[in-house]
Formats: sequence, C-alpha cells, structure tokens
Amino acid sequence: MDSSRKQRRQQLQSVFEPGFRRMLLVSFLLHLLLPVLYHTPWFPKKDSVKPPVYRVNLVNKPVKSPQAGRPEAAPVKKKPVKKVVKPKPKPVKPKLIPPKLKPVTVKPKPKPASKPTPRTVSKPEPTPAVSKAQENALQKRLEELRMAQAKKRAEQERKKQLDVLRAAVAVESRQVKSPVADAPVGSVTGKGDEIGVDERDYVREFITRQWRLSQYQLATRQLEAVVLLVYSAEGKLLHYRFKEKSGNEIFDSSLLRAILKSKDLGQPLQEQTDFTVIFNLKDMLDRP
Amino acid sequence: MQKLNLTRLVVMLFVLTLLVAGCAKKPVVEETAVTEQPIQEQVLQQQPAVIEEQPVDEAAAEAARAAARIAAAEAAADKALSGLMRIYFDFDQYVLTDAAKQQLAMNAGLLKAAPTVNVQIEGHCDERGSDEYNLALGEKRALATSSYLVSLGVSAGRVSIISYGEEIPLDPAKTEAAWAKNRRAEFNARR
Amino acid sequence: MKIVRAILAAAVLYFFYAGSAAAVRIEISAPGEQTIPLAITSLLPMGAVQAGVAEEFQQVLGNDLDLSGLFDLVDPEAFLGDAQKLTLHSTQVDFGQWRMLGAEVLIKGGYRFEAGKLTVELRLYDVISRRLLTGRRYIGTPADVRRIAHTFADQILLSLTGESGPFNSRIAYISKRTGRKELYLMDVDGHQRLRLTDHRSIVLNPDFSPTRKELIFTSYDKGNPDLYRKEIYTGRESRLSLKPGLNIGGRYSPDGREVALTLSKDKNSEIYLLGTDGTIHRRLTNHYGIDVDPSWSPDGHKIAFVSDRRGNPNIFIVDIHTLEVNRLTYEGKYNATPAWSPKKDRIVFARLEGSEFNLFSIRSDGSDERQLTFGPGSKEHPRWSPDGRFLIYSLDRGGEKSIWIMRADGTGARKISTKGGHDTHPAWSARW
Repeated sequence: MDSSRKQRRQQLQSVFEPGFRRMLLVSFLLHLLLPVLYHTPWFPKKDSVKPPVYRVNLVNKPVKSPQAGRPEAAPVKKKPVKKVVKPKPKPVKPKLIPPKLKPVTVKPKPKPASKPTPRTVSKPEPTPAVSKAQENALQKRLEELRMAQAKKRAEQERKKQLDVLRAAVAVESRQVKSPVADAPVGSVTGKGDEIGVDERDYVREFITRQWRLSQYQLATRQLEAVVLLVYSAEGKLLHYRFKEKSGNEIFDSSLLRAILKSKDLGQPLQEQTDFTVIFNLKDMLDRP
Repeated sequence: MQKLNLTRLVVMLFVLTLLVAGCAKKPVVEETAVTEQPIQEQVLQQQPAVIEEQPVDEAAAEAARAAARIAAAEAAADKALSGLMRIYFDFDQYVLTDAAKQQLAMNAGLLKAAPTVNVQIEGHCDERGSDEYNLALGEKRALATSSYLVSLGVSAGRVSIISYGEEIPLDPAKTEAAWAKNRRAEFNARR
Repeated sequence: MKIVRAILAAAVLYFFYAGSAAAVRIEISAPGEQTIPLAITSLLPMGAVQAGVAEEFQQVLGNDLDLSGLFDLVDPEAFLGDAQKLTLHSTQVDFGQWRMLGAEVLIKGGYRFEAGKLTVELRLYDVISRRLLTGRRYIGTPADVRRIAHTFADQILLSLTGESGPFNSRIAYISKRTGRKELYLMDVDGHQRLRLTDHRSIVLNPDFSPTRKELIFTSYDKGNPDLYRKEIYTGRESRLSLKPGLNIGGRYSPDGREVALTLSKDKNSEIYLLGTDGTIHRRLTNHYGIDVDPSWSPDGHKIAFVSDRRGNPNIFIVDIHTLEVNRLTYEGKYNATPAWSPKKDRIVFARLEGSEFNLFSIRSDGSDERQLTFGPGSKEHPRWSPDGRFLIYSLDRGGEKSIWIMRADGTGARKISTKGGHDTHPAWSARW
C-alpha cells in the first residue's frame, strides 16, 4: 500500500514541471500584491456617503396645514388630555425662573417640621445637666440641621415633580409632532379634529383625476361649465345635470366622460349630497 | 504627492494637445485661400493660346498688324479680366471701407484701360442673417460698389449688378475669418 | 286643478332638491391629466393576410398622433382579447376591457386586398360613452397605405378637437442633394420625397398656393433671381415676376389671389403686391432701408415684414390698405423671417443671438413674447401648418442642415429630413 502511495505521489510530482513550485510561489506573491496595491493611494476610495433619504408622499397633494386630519394629532379624546397637561407645565416655569422664591415658600414648611423638634429636645432636657447656653447652642444647631434636611427633601420632591411634568410635556410634544417634519398630509380646510380626508376634497380630487382633456384640443381656454352631481350616501352617482354648458362640444364631452367615470366614488359619504361642480381651465390660462 | 504629480502630468498633456490642435487649425484656413487663386490663374494661362493660334502669313502683314492691335486690346481686356480684385465688407454693412475704395480705384483703372470689357458686380454675404435679408444686403453691396466705380469714371452702361446673398460662400466654415471672406463684392468681367 | 298640480310638482321638486340635505360647491380649474389615453389596435385582415400593411399603417398613424401631443398611448402589450377581434360596430366592442386598461378612445380597423384594390375600414370609438366617434372606409391602391393613415389621423383630430389635422398635406423644401439647390416635395413625416425642379442653378424660398396645387419660388435659372410659378402635377413652369434685380420671398395671400414679394427694380428692396398674372398691384413700403420677407395675416389685411429702417433688422407690420407701418419687435438685435399663424394671433420669427438663430413667437400687438427653441444650432425659416398646430423650420447644426417639425408651443420637436440632404426652407401646403 505504502509503495503504491509513493508511486502515486511520484507520478503526481512528475506531472508538474520542475520549476512549478517556484512559479506557484511567485503567482501567490503577485496575487498578494493586488490587495496591497489596493490600499495604496493610487486607488483612491470614495468615502461612502450615505445618500440622503427623502420622504415623498405620492398619494396626497400638498396642503397648508400638515397636521390637520392626522388621526393621532386630532382625536377628540386627547383634547382634554392636552388641556389638563398643558396648564401644569406653566406653573413649573415660574418656579424654575426665580430660584429665590423657593426658600420663601419652603421656609413656612420647616416650621411645622420644627414642632416635633421641641418634643425630642424636651426629652433630653432633664437628663443632661448642661449649661443653658450650651443647650441653646445645641438646639440651634440641631434645628439648623433639620431645616437643611427638610430643605433637601422639599427640593427633591420638587425635582421629582418637575421630572414628571417634563416627561409629560415630552410625551405630549411627541404626540403632536408628526413622524416627518412638515409632512404634507390632511386637507387645506382641516381643523385637526377630523379623521381621514375631507369629503369635499375627496370628491374634488376623484373627479379631477377622471377628467382628461388635452390643451391641444381647444382653441380657447375661456371655458366654464357647471354640473350638478347627486351622490347617494353609498357614494354612487344618482343623477347628473348640466346646469350650464360651456358651448364647446369638445370641452363638454370631456366633462361627460369624467362624470361617467365618476359614477362610483369608491367610498361612502356621510349622507346623500348634491355637488355643484364648476369645471374651467383657469389653471391652464398662462400657457401659450 | 505621486498622485498629484500624475494628475498634473495628465493635465499638461491635455493642454499640450489642445495647443497643438489649436495651432493646427489656422493653416487649414489659409490653405483654402491658396486653392482659390489658381482659378484666376487658369484664366491667364488659357488666353495666350488664343493669340498663338493666329495664322502667320506674309501676305497678311497688314492683317497681322491689325491683329496685333486687337491682341493689345485683348491683352488689356485679359488684364482687366484677371486683375479685377474682390472687395470686402463689414458685418451687416454695405458702406465701402477705405481698403475697398483703394481696390476699387485700381479696378476702375483696369476697366478704363479695357473699354471692351463689361463687368457684372456680384454682392455676397456671410451665412449669418436671414436669406432674404442677405439677398437685399448683397444687392446693396453690389450697388454701392457699382456707383463708386461709376463715380471713378467707368461708364454706367458697362456695369451691371446681381446679388447672391449667402448662396455662394467662398469659405463654408463657420468662423469669423470665413465670414469676413464671404462678405464681399466680386467682379465678373465679360468681353 | 292645473295650478294645484303645478304647485304640487314644484313642491316635489323643491323637496327633492332640498331633501338631499347636503349641498357642496366644487371648482375644478384644470383637468387631472392633459392627455387622452388612446389605444391603437393593429389593422386586422378581412381576407387574405398581406404582410407589412398593418405594420406600416400603425407606424404612420402612431407617428402622426404622437406628434399631435394629444394622446397618451396605451401599451399594446397590455391589450386583452378584444384587440384581436374585428369589431366594426360599437355594439360588438367589449368596452369594459378597454376601460379596464384606462383607454378613453380606441382605434380599430381592418383591411382587404381585392383585385389590386386596398380597402381599409377604420373606426374611432369613445370607450367611456361606448359610441362611435368617427368611421371611415378608404379604398385605394396598395401603395396608398401611408396616405390612408395620414388621412385617418386628420380625421381623428377633427373628431377630437373640431379641427382637422394637417397630416395629409405636403412640404416643399430646398435641398442640395444634387449639389445644386433644387425644389423638392415630401410628406409631413418626411417620406415620399420628390424633386420638382432641374434648374441646376439656385432655387430659393418656396410657397404653396392656398387654393391650387401650385408653388412659387425664386430661381437664378435665367441669371437673375426671378419669381417662378410651377404647377405640381402638370410640371408646367413659368416666370411670374422677372423685374431687374430681386424678385424674392413670394407669399400667396390667404385667398390665393395676390402674391406679396420683394422687388428691387428701383435699386432698393421694397415689398409689393402682385396679381397672379404678374402685374404689380401695389407698392406697400417706401423706405431707403432694406424691406424683405413678407408674411400675410390670416385675414389678408396686414403683412409682417423685415426692415432695417430703424438700424438693425426688425419685424414691422404694414396695413395693406392704409400702408401704415408699425414696429413689432424691440428685443434683440436681429429679428427676421416672420411667419404669421393662419389661425391664431401669433407671429413666429427667428432672432439672431451670437451666430445662431432661435425661434420666438409674439402676438401681433407686440405682447407676450415667448422663446420656442433652445439649444445648439441655428433654427430658421419657420412656417406654420395650415391648421396652426405645428411649426416646421430648418436647423443648421454641425454643418448639417435638416428640416424639423414641432408643436406651436415648441414641444415635440423631431427631425423629418434624412441625413446629408442639406435641406432648408420648408413650406407647408394646404390640405391636399
């Protein structure tokens, strides 16, 4: 067995050319050179700058008051919370600003605390026969110590209270702030207490998207038509009527197509609603 | 530092090639000017052949003398045909420059020496500007040239004008030098 | 009784409208999208299949409709089963399918070859209101596929805009293909090129008669720049104006009865009106400066032209009755080649800035100037399509001169001439 292994080894070695090992070494070194070269200044590496992240809302159009209509910002339940919480931080501020006031308010407190001190003092009264002057001095010192302790306690309490209030304020401010600064969400007319999108804006946006008309179809942009659309509470078009036609057949037929495409709003309304829709091209007037 | 040197080298090489390229362009413009000259020289070379073809006959010595007179007139005409040099104008202008006036004085002399020769003045423009406007401008240039020649004593009946606008440029390149060359009046002499 | 009934009816009506409690007013001041989603199905054979017909038709029609800028084409990859059905009646079309794909208008059609004749049936449907907008049957030779496609494109624009398209018309232009400037004719998409003249001289600045298949142009054929007239189909050619000096820039009046042009017979270029027999009707300008490049107002009462009477070349307007001249352009140093829209109150012209022209448009009272073209190259010789929708012009860029077409607002520019033609001076015919 051993001999056959040796033979095999010999056979293998005979396959390699004589300088093979040296060449292998050179090759290895050359390959090693590559990573070395890579770290020389000849291969400048770009600093990996993280690309900035832009948040874009592709669903809703930009509006004036971003917070309006955000459920977490608005709900009626939270309103009282705000009202309760907000007054609290207010009194905190005056306390923080004039620190001198603190001792004034604190001083009366130690007075009742000092009441027990006479009791404790009265007990040792008979036992030690020390001069009155000494006694007085000691009492004074004790009183001073106690007062200092009381002060400390009061301050700690106030600090705790402050921390609680600060936390409350922080929580509230976090609630009011939307996750993205200036997020364009909600509707222009929103007051902040609505949930979802304003019905009127929804219908307006819905019909606008159905309306397709090319600027190249018209010789004039001074066109206007008024259409009455009656939608059921289920959001279905019950009937429509042109209150005023523009007189331009192309324009009016484009409106008809938009109306026919808006037969179903895809969302219920609060109640059956008459929409008087004025169609015109005021936003296209400035183009040639 | 090594990197800096390398980039510096590359930039210098680039600038050098640019310089070389910039220098190489100028001769090209001059070359076209040279190729234009032979057209006029050909006219010179062709004409003497006509004179040599006259039959040499003793009996017709008188005729030969007459022929010599004609030949002299023709030589003057030839001189006029070949010697009339074009003049140049400024952009969007048909007012004659001083250099143009000097050249026109020489041209007028040649024309007066060869009374058999009529001349058509061609007004030309560079390619900038509208085609129609340039046709009108070319005509203004031809007119200014012809009236100056007439004022120098060339009879008005011998001078006619035509405008080619920007249709026949001497140099089709889009350079200031080419445009300057194209804003011109040419003299097309006919016997 | 009648009165009672009327009162009752009024009451019912009142309660009906008052009853639907909420009433909301909405104003929509622009459409959501300014394109119309269009599906173009390919022509289906109504008999034997003929290779290439459907493809060529599709290409020509698609190109025309794309240039119109009206449409947003529905991707044919998305088409469902109805695209493969020859439905030439609105009741047969499965409009639901097309509405699902977002299409608002739909083109369907079929073709048949019979005895050397090509019949093409074409329909334009309104997908939303499920009705036929326009239907056409075209009968021609197999070589007429392009013509049929252009004609139907015009028909589609008529149906969707109230104004026919200009696609079945011709463009005359000057090309140096032979080494000399000669007059050529081509389709609006640059196909079917045809040389009209063999002057071997210099041919310039063509214009179409608005009423006849006829062109006028300037040629140096007889040594002088004379104005020629050429009948396109007979090839008959004659000189309309051969005054000494310039006879250039001929433009037919909108009614085709007169020609405005520049003559320099009195040693100065002025604008004249010519009868179609070549006699001078009227001299419109009288100034020692250069007056060239007339262009008629659509009503035929005024002519815009170029003059250097105030120094630099600028555009002026002359009333052909009172001969009162008003200056139109004040901006820029070199304004030329005015072209008055046949439909709108707009004049397009070329302004030289540096050594390159760009196209601008301005109202005839000098207000609302807008730049139409940008970028490298010199854009010159603007001319309007007969419907005022498009502009055609020549572009000189990198030594190559080519003809381009774009919408009147400067969008959608595309080259229609082929390479190496040295093509300039396009002119757009009336509807053919």
